[in-house]
Amino acid sequence: MQSSSIDVGVATTPATKPGLRLLLLPLVILAGMGLSVEAGLLGPLGVQVGHLWATLSIFGVGSAILFLLLLFSGPKKGPAFSDLPRWQLLGGFLGPMYVVVLTLATPHIGIAMTMIAILSGQVGKSVLIDHFGWFGATRKKVNGERWLALLLIVAALVLIARG
Amino acid sequence: MMNLIILLAVVVAAGAVLSVQAAINGRLGETVGVLRSSLLTFVVGAVSTGLLILFFEPAHAMSLLDVPKWQLSGALFGVVYMMVMVGAVPRVGTAVATVAVIVGQLGMGMLIDNFGWLGNPQIELSGSRILAMVLLGLALVLMYRSNTRQA
Repeated sequence: MQSSSIDVGVATTPATKPGLRLLLLPLVILAGMGLSVEAGLLGPLGVQVGHLWATLSIFGVGSAILFLLLLFSGPKKGPAFSDLPRWQLLGGFLGPMYVVVLTLATPHIGIAMTMIAILSGQVGKSVLIDHFGWFGATRKKVNGERWLALLLIVAALVLIARG
Repeated sequence: MMNLIILLAVVVAAGAVLSVQAAINGRLGETVGVLRSSLLTFVVGAVSTGLLILFFEPAHAMSLLDVPKWQLSGALFGVVYMMVMVGAVPRVGTAVATVAVIVGQLGMGMLIDNFGWLGNPQIELSGSRILAMVLLGLALVLMYRSNTRQA
């Protein structure tokens, strides 16, 4: 389900041994490739069995695997879900929207372009939220570089739409 | 053409939704742990999709049980991705991990498109597609630079 759902932004780099870094990087790149494979599997599946069924397969299988992992990873202490603020539990409703859109879009615009569009949504959202201070975020001035970045991304989208 | 623009807008919106979800889940993950917060996300996702299917999905000639099994392996990649990120982000840093993921995503995306792998329609690598990638790369560099300066 996940995409690189990290706002291209948070730049904190802790110190690590360079050797370990070099070893980990191909692994992270492979994980990113996996996301495209996932999207590539979803599109044709959605066409055959329906977009919502394809989405259910992702969340159903994912739930089952995570349940097993959790079961065998031993007891973990932590607050119960019922003790947490309700809004923190809402993330699960947003994931299916993303997966349904993936199955809808990839057969028409291809996987690479779907990924670019997703990315521009993520970047655009973070720039706009910072600029206007939406969702209770602290309002901070967005500098020229980030507006330029947003502009480039929009240009990339226009290119895709025309190409 | 019009349909394509609407579709693109929907996908961009999905990206925005995804980063809202990431923000919410990030907070949840800090308190209950990554495995449990992901499990909650997946279970809520499965239940809400199930409800939508019950009430809105028209009947299809094929069911999930009829398609070749490898077509159902998508979720495995998502879970593996999550585990790798949990392990790697604290060691290589968010910025490096983000760039590496995007490189993998776009590279593999182009390969699948170009060769039509996994039963996808074949979309050849055109000049405008390459130019779009270059623009995106530049945009990411700009975002990264403006961010390190602020920090």
